[in-house]
Amino acid sequence: MLFNSLTFVVFFAVVLALHYAPFSWRVKKSNLLIGSYIFYAAWNPPFVILLWISTVVDWVVANKIHLETRQARRRMLLTVSIMVNLGMLGYFKYGGFVMENFQTMMLAMGFDYQPPDWNIVLPVGISFYTFQTMAYTLDVYLKRSAPAKSFLDFALFVTFFPQLVAGPIVRPTQLIPQFKLPKVASRQQLTWGFALITIGLFNKIVVADGLLSKAAETVFETKEMLHPADAWLGTLAFSGQIFCDFAGYSTTAIGVALCLGFSLPDNFRFPYAAVGFSDFWRRWHISLSSWLRDYLYIPLGGSRKGNLRTYANLMTTMLLGGLWHGASWTFVVWGGLHGLFLAAERWLAARFGGREIWKRWGPRILLALLTYFLVNITWVFFRAQDFATAWRMIDTMLTFNMDGKKVLPMIDVVQVIGVTIAMLAVHWFMRNRYLHDVAVALPRWLLIGAWGVMLWLIIITQGQSNAFIYFQF
Amino acid sequence: MPLYTSSSDISGHGADPVFERPVPALGRSAAFALLIVIVLMLAWEAWVRSEGVTPSYRNSDGLWAEQRRRIAGDEGDGWVFTGSSRALFDMQLAVWENLDGRRPLQLALEGTAAVGVLEGLAEDDDFTGKVIVGVAPGLFFSGFEYRRQAMDRYKTETPTQWFGQKVSMLAEPYLAFYAYDFALATVLRRQPLPHREGVEFSREVRKLSNMERDRNTRLWDKVDKNVAYRDLVRSIWAENWMPLAELPEPVRERILEARTKQLDRAIEAVKKIQAKGAQTIFVQMPYEGHYATSEIDIAPRELTWDILIEQTGVLGLHFQDHEEMQGYRLPEWSHMTGSEADRFTEAFYGLVKRELAARQAAEGIP
Repeated sequence: MLFNSLTFVVFFAVVLALHYAPFSWRVKKSNLLIGSYIFYAAWNPPFVILLWISTVVDWVVANKIHLETRQARRRMLLTVSIMVNLGMLGYFKYGGFVMENFQTMMLAMGFDYQPPDWNIVLPVGISFYTFQTMAYTLDVYLKRSAPAKSFLDFALFVTFFPQLVAGPIVRPTQLIPQFKLPKVASRQQLTWGFALITIGLFNKIVVADGLLSKAAETVFETKEMLHPADAWLGTLAFSGQIFCDFAGYSTTAIGVALCLGFSLPDNFRFPYAAVGFSDFWRRWHISLSSWLRDYLYIPLGGSRKGNLRTYANLMTTMLLGGLWHGASWTFVVWGGLHGLFLAAERWLAARFGGREIWKRWGPRILLALLTYFLVNITWVFFRAQDFATAWRMIDTMLTFNMDGKKVLPMIDVVQVIGVTIAMLAVHWFMRNRYLHDVAVALPRWLLIGAWGVMLWLIIITQGQSNAFIYFQF
Repeated sequence: MPLYTSSSDISGHGADPVFERPVPALGRSAAFALLIVIVLMLAWEAWVRSEGVTPSYRNSDGLWAEQRRRIAGDEGDGWVFTGSSRALFDMQLAVWENLDGRRPLQLALEGTAAVGVLEGLAEDDDFTGKVIVGVAPGLFFSGFEYRRQAMDRYKTETPTQWFGQKVSMLAEPYLAFYAYDFALATVLRRQPLPHREGVEFSREVRKLSNMERDRNTRLWDKVDKNVAYRDLVRSIWAENWMPLAELPEPVRERILEARTKQLDRAIEAVKKIQAKGAQTIFVQMPYEGHYATSEIDIAPRELTWDILIEQTGVLGLHFQDHEEMQGYRLPEWSHMTGSEADRFTEAFYGLVKRELAARQAAEGIP
């Protein structure tokens, strides 16, 4: 079920009505759990079984790990959990990719191996809930937390519909305790929840789908060499589209949860105002970057084992982070570029970072623009269907070959430039601010006017219930 | 992170306090914002209605999928109309129902070659009736499928899409603004901005029709009565058109290849339909003006239509061959007004019945 669909409007109204009806807390949690299964099954009912497998396996395994004192047995139990979770993820998400690469490898060795067709439908959001349940078992294994005491609470943690399919990837200690005592939203929470839903849907429906998607699609689906202006505009369009799409989802999810009385953590903090790549990853998909840091980068040794190992750990983390996004080498290159930029920044910061100049506004803005420029280069690999398209785009973007084809009509030029300037201005203004503080500081008439206009634009954009980009990951 | 803090403990020894989202006090802002939305929506709806729009059902993929599913109900043995926009606009279900006693299913898709729908019917065991296939030569023999997603939706519709369609249809007959042609992005895209040199830009087709609950469709009055709007539609039809001979060689080759492929696909589908005892009738609805030139240029009758009818052996009704299909008013060269479509459907029904009877007599079928 998509947030930007009429089905969700009806679904959410029913969930809210049940949540605020005079039932016991246990019944309300059961309602939320059943509602979450319906939310997921609305795409493809059989895939709910995957959620059940993930839930039961991690519940049983984590409890056994907690009670087990023998290290070898604990490790074996953890392996079972990881095998089941990554096994499902691997089968559904990476099976075709592995087959394809195996075929290429065999061909290179002189064998014309024809693998069977791999027409497997990817269960929506499998990468998200797999990481969420793995975090639970890993926390218990690493003795960071004990298992949940209630199966209902744990099942709801795995399945909680606002963040089930595209995050934020919530840690057990952030969400499970919230299920323990009765939760209903205060009037203020409810109001702010609806305000966040409005902002999230405005980002998704009006900006991402209505104003930017067409330009990005036109540019990235052109098979010829493009004019540099079009290549850049298409890339900027995608840059804005993916932010508004994904941050729009996260903001809506946070708002939906808040309407029910639950607090989900931030997933984005105005990333296009980042100064440097480490700053970018503190602002972009925060729940994934912190997951990778805590369960991959730090266990690999983090920065504790010398410089060379630190760089290797960074690269490994980002390459795997890239692969998490999709079963394609273009995503690996995207992750690799981010790893390279993070490593380069670390190397440069160690040598030149302490200088006074970096505290001044001018150089910081220049660094922010450089970061934005490089982030856009990485988006080319993220969005391109294949390397041929990516290289063609990069070529014309960096060499300014003016012979390329122009494909974007004036309306797209105006929309992309307008949205990009507005987005960068908002990100820079909000760089060190919080939305809730700004909402209070704004003149009330402006807040009400902006809220009303955003809602109106959402309605008249009409939308086509386009899926969120991150659902495919 | 602390060691041994239960995932269920809210504030156990050493536990992090559970995150609680800061919430600003917004007072009655939500109520006032809602008031603004209502005022703006009323103004927007009033503007759309002032453009001559009246509420009607959206020609959505979900509605097509819903109508397509009726074949699997108990309606697979009746009449089915398919084709592109001419079959959609010119064939009036109520008129046909009055004459035949049974209302046909309307499965035509604008801008779309009907071969895909025909193949679907051929593979569908539930379809045992008669299908009338509108052939718009430039589309049918090109394989172009502007509405491919509707056919895909029928095969892959999820429960949430099915439910969303039901909810949407509760609002559609009451809201004029809830039309594709007045979606914000569409309105923005037709603003008069300077042309960017070197860019091939085709304007979107504007609103042409009103649709009823079962996809019965009538030409929008404005196309007929508002001369400026009619001329706009005509100019969009003729935009960027080039004679086949002037197209680049690779494009021309692709068109000729597609023609052969479409013929093969259609012939194959008709054979399958015949094999299960169902019937296919091909029809070319009237066209004029720009289309009188472009249709026969891209798909000359003797190289397309005549071969299709000859090789399938089914009934083919071309408007050039039958008086009953001539003399109708087509304001924008391609589609009939509602009243003309009523007149056409009545005459066409008689023609179909007569031709089928003649074929049966010729084949010695009582």
